[in-house]
Amino acid sequence: MPPHRTLLDVLRDDLRLTGTKRGCDEGECGACTVLVDGKAVDACILAALSVNGARVETVEGLAGPNGELGRLQRAFIEAGAVQCGFCTPGFLMTLTAFLRGRRSATPDEIREAIAGNICRCTGYSQIVEAVQMALATR
Amino acid sequence: MTAIPVDVADFVDTHELADALRVLQERGPDVTVLAGGTDVMVQYLRGDIRPRILLHVRRLAELKGMEFGARTTIGALTTHWELATDARVLRAHPALAEAAATVGGRQTQNVGTIAGNVVNASPAADLLPALMVGDAVVELTSAVGRRRLSISDFIVGRRSTLRRPDELVTGFSLEPLPSMTAETYLKLGRRRAMEVAIVGLAVRLALTADGRVTDARIAVCSVGPRPFRAHQAEEPLIGSRLEEDAIREAGERLRQAAAPIDDLRATAAYRWRVLPPLLERAISTCHERWVASQDIEVDHGTSTVGQRGRERSRRASAPDPPGRAP
Repeated sequence: MPPHRTLLDVLRDDLRLTGTKRGCDEGECGACTVLVDGKAVDACILAALSVNGARVETVEGLAGPNGELGRLQRAFIEAGAVQCGFCTPGFLMTLTAFLRGRRSATPDEIREAIAGNICRCTGYSQIVEAVQMALATR
Repeated sequence: MTAIPVDVADFVDTHELADALRVLQERGPDVTVLAGGTDVMVQYLRGDIRPRILLHVRRLAELKGMEFGARTTIGALTTHWELATDARVLRAHPALAEAAATVGGRQTQNVGTIAGNVVNASPAADLLPALMVGDAVVELTSAVGRRRLSISDFIVGRRSTLRRPDELVTGFSLEPLPSMTAETYLKLGRRRAMEVAIVGLAVRLALTADGRVTDARIAVCSVGPRPFRAHQAEEPLIGSRLEEDAIREAGERLRQAAAPIDDLRATAAYRWRVLPPLLERAISTCHERWVASQDIEVDHGTSTVGQRGRERSRRASAPDPPGRAP
């Protein structure tokens, strides 16, 4: 494995886990966000070799064993937080880490949490609403 | 798939400090040290740097953790997120915590490290002004020994430091905020997230109980090839009671000390123009915090001034849109 291969390369090209998206490819847009040992990271600028032995979670892991969507995913649909969908996996992963062990969040806290994720379609209001919806249905 | 760089580097994963130091001793000039990689990987994938060896130090337990005593010690691998959220850092080094909170988004803060931000030595490195007002000392370790340099001496130019090729930055030591002292870091950007500073400014002020300034420290980034401590601008404040004249003189001297350039984020003229009002705002924030801390120490927060102090805003917004400077 050469060092210029990123975690994103390995996920998409080797493991064919294409739910994680390649956006800016330089750690700015958050479309490639995955969780490494529970923390949100940009997979496009992470050398795959540097996460050897770590636990990696991608959007493919959010659904249940029979493919049923998770609470946050359902809230995204209900709130209209998805339009073209390209940024969605990244938002879902950032917010999955954010919501773990958390019972409530203010809109400001949610906005701060998603500062590293960019959406160019729906805007952020519906995404913030979806998070509040997911928290309310816990 | 990511484009293949012209020269493929060897990836050396180290688990113990001694191993990393041996690699640096033997192959130092060929090595680029890789920790969180938020700068190094981007530069490597773009072809901006062409290391023969990428030395992965992220697993070195010796470079992790913080200790809070007469001086604060911060391990090289401490992340921006840890700096921004650790209650002890927020108490002893609020400017550093505020600066770390402005670096990139959560993804960057989760992996980017304090040593990476310092060694990368960007003109816009947010942590550097905060470290400078905290009188930070850089600890450099090699296979043959250890030395310590003040942060201002360590950063010698744009992306240039005094680190020798055989050395690794292993940690930092800082002066914790004494009592009767307050500090802040203000970052001016066009938006509030994922922004490189148009101007970044850290101020630490020490005042006597009756409001006379006994120590003033001012440091800036993004207004010259390297972040720097503006000693001349501090002088008019020391001994003052933060009268308008003193603050105006400090602002003027800060302008004179700056050497900004035009770039895609703002013009040099705009940067010069915003320095004095940004300084004034930082001084005012420090003063409010000092008043609030007096409240807590003296009368448990009953004065109205103290109330105002606690309602301070943590982030600066632009006084005028960039590019409209005369």
